[in-house]
Amino acid sequence: MKKVLTGNQAIAQGFYEAGGLVAASYPGSPTVEIMETLKGYEGIYAEFSTNEKVALEVAIGGSLYGARSMASMKHVGVNIAADPLLTFTQTPINGGFVLVTGDDPGMASSQNEQDNRIIGKFANMGIFYPGSSQEAKDFMKIALELSEKFQTPMMIDITSRVCHSRGPVEIGERVEHKPGGFKRDQEKYCMLPPYTFKAQYFMKERIEKLEKYAYDAAFNILEEVEGSDTLIVTSGLMYYNLKELNLPVSIYKLGMVYPISTKRMKELAQKYKRIIVIEEMMPFIENELKLMGIDCTGKEYFSFTGEIHTEDIEEALYRMGVIDKRKYEDVKAVETVGRPPMFCAGCPHRPVFDILRKLNVTVIGDIGCYSMAVLPAFKAAHVSLSMGATLGVTKGMNKAMRLNEDKKPIVSVIGDGTFFHSGLPGFVNLLHQLDEEDNMTFIILDNRTTAMTGGQPTASSGRFNRKDDMDIDIKEVLRSFGIENVREVDQFKYRETREAIRAATKEQRISVIITTRPCTLKYKIKEGHYYVNPSICIGCRTCVKLNCPPIRMAKYEGIDDLKSFIDPDKCIGCSVCAQTCPVGAIKRSE
Amino acid sequence: MIKNIILAGVGGQGLVLATRLIVEVAFRAGFDVKTNDVIGLSQRGGRVWGSVRFGEKIYSPNIPPKEGDILLGLEPLEAYRWSHLMKDGGYIILNEKEDYPTPVLLELEKYPAEEIEAMKDNYKVINVDAVEEAKKAGNIKAANTVILGIMARYLDIDTKIWEEVIRENVPEKAIEANINAFYRGYSYQP
Repeated sequence: MKKVLTGNQAIAQGFYEAGGLVAASYPGSPTVEIMETLKGYEGIYAEFSTNEKVALEVAIGGSLYGARSMASMKHVGVNIAADPLLTFTQTPINGGFVLVTGDDPGMASSQNEQDNRIIGKFANMGIFYPGSSQEAKDFMKIALELSEKFQTPMMIDITSRVCHSRGPVEIGERVEHKPGGFKRDQEKYCMLPPYTFKAQYFMKERIEKLEKYAYDAAFNILEEVEGSDTLIVTSGLMYYNLKELNLPVSIYKLGMVYPISTKRMKELAQKYKRIIVIEEMMPFIENELKLMGIDCTGKEYFSFTGEIHTEDIEEALYRMGVIDKRKYEDVKAVETVGRPPMFCAGCPHRPVFDILRKLNVTVIGDIGCYSMAVLPAFKAAHVSLSMGATLGVTKGMNKAMRLNEDKKPIVSVIGDGTFFHSGLPGFVNLLHQLDEEDNMTFIILDNRTTAMTGGQPTASSGRFNRKDDMDIDIKEVLRSFGIENVREVDQFKYRETREAIRAATKEQRISVIITTRPCTLKYKIKEGHYYVNPSICIGCRTCVKLNCPPIRMAKYEGIDDLKSFIDPDKCIGCSVCAQTCPVGAIKRSE
Repeated sequence: MIKNIILAGVGGQGLVLATRLIVEVAFRAGFDVKTNDVIGLSQRGGRVWGSVRFGEKIYSPNIPPKEGDILLGLEPLEAYRWSHLMKDGGYIILNEKEDYPTPVLLELEKYPAEEIEAMKDNYKVINVDAVEEAKKAGNIKAANTVILGIMARYLDIDTKIWEEVIRENVPEKAIEANINAFYRGYSYQP
């Protein structure tokens, strides 16, 4: 039986069919749906962990016991998990272990475009690179088997398009895989010298065996066309984009992009005059081939960044002289008004960033929905890097400012998800070598969910949502660290919040403000809508600058000037605009 | 024969479900299928778009420029934004309800109403107030189903399959309204 699945769902299905038992993840686009799907299967333990490092370690624990295990995360999540990964890889694998990483060529929803095949190679892992939902499922099953056969952790590197693309997938039965249990063996599992010395040779030999296996493995497909003097080496979605062109050239499609069989490639290089590599992002396959001494062309003709579409492949092959005419025209994209994302109607982040913008302070942002404070409508965050970075960055900038006799305040914002993900060590570190001149204000936007990735619970969600099992009080956590100056505010009380933030920025100490309003989207909050009385409105646009989806200037009958207007279908009744209106023109509907 | 369908709209408009319904229908009608589900931030009012391709054999889920047969424009500006992917003379089903993006809300730029209107010169544009039609069908949330109904006229797939897929994929209490909305769209005259 076949079913239409996304790449993410297909990975979950593959894990299920292969008898997978332990799966962990931290939500991040494009791989969120893998764990959400796994949570729906019977017989699998699946969790969203506090962060990617913990998720990887949970999967490692399962694997050490002999259970088939996996961890999934977005590409940058692997950076967080890199420490356990790069040491765990030295141990012989017991239960099959697969790390799924979601790469994002073109950065549809990511802060960078790193190519995790590099990390896979760095970690001495075999790397599968699926290009369709069917492959996503098949490769998960094969990867688990090879992981056990070669005692190696395996990586599945899947790009955002393949994660979110749907296609038919053959559905199979689950085959149970009973774990063999953990057998104590310090030499294998305690990675201290001298045990690590042997581990280096073990990894080297392991990858060499896998490379030999790759020579005629069925997951690497050779499609030879008679008379072709050109061979295109490719993998993943690039293969399918290439196939759309229906060209009379030979193709070697790598299901596993690392390691690549040198013997196979050298044989092919003998046979073909020209070898072209098509891959998104870094010249990974190209470099592997060049290390083998094989002359090939790739990134010279293809972009090192962004996605590569069928028409891009055609255009490059035309420039190379592989084809002499094109079927796709160069079409210019429509240039029109942009549509940047925005805070939802009634989003609890809105008043906070409106206040910060008006206070005109330097704000060190972090990762979450509140990253959107960077966008032109607010421009109220001035640094945005990586998960939890705001704490260290704020402290370091504060120290530099004090040494430079710069007395300005500095504000840091972080959400509850990020607080638990990687904010905790940063908060602990604030207390170290604290000076009297330090002036740092930390605003914790506790909306009780990981909103940006679709509303997964965080460690504080349980305070609001009884079915979530963790109920950690952020204020109590900070107090237990010795951070005493912590206050909670309801940011829908605009003036009170503004005064709290203003006062905090004037105090020479660490101040923490926890905003308590939950995510409007996740908790589906809707109260009576607000409306504008156009005869009171002076057209000052204070409310419009809040950049709330329902609010805009509009024409009213019988009034010449534009007046503010609130779309009642979109307003959820948070009241922030009414509180900021200088003339009281905005009222709640009855 | 390959059919290329583009969906364009604003985060939160239900593109993912619409994509899923179309692909399921095409699959049950015996075609090979590929989609791009929503590209972009799926909530939070940003631009989002997706695609469905079906035919005897589909390799890539992506639709190259000027290969689109039908564009489902859940919002006019978003339909215009992706119109370059359409074949000349292709069908654009245009939900008339405008959703103003930040630059328009902040009065920095004008909503491109004239350019949207001018799409008629190149494509067969079918205008519909899908929300109004959905209200008449009994559920304001079935606006996308109205649009799917209009599209179904151009696909030559048995409406029974559509009915079956809608029944299986929408919440129990919204089934009747969605079936109504589908047929309202199917027989819609602009």
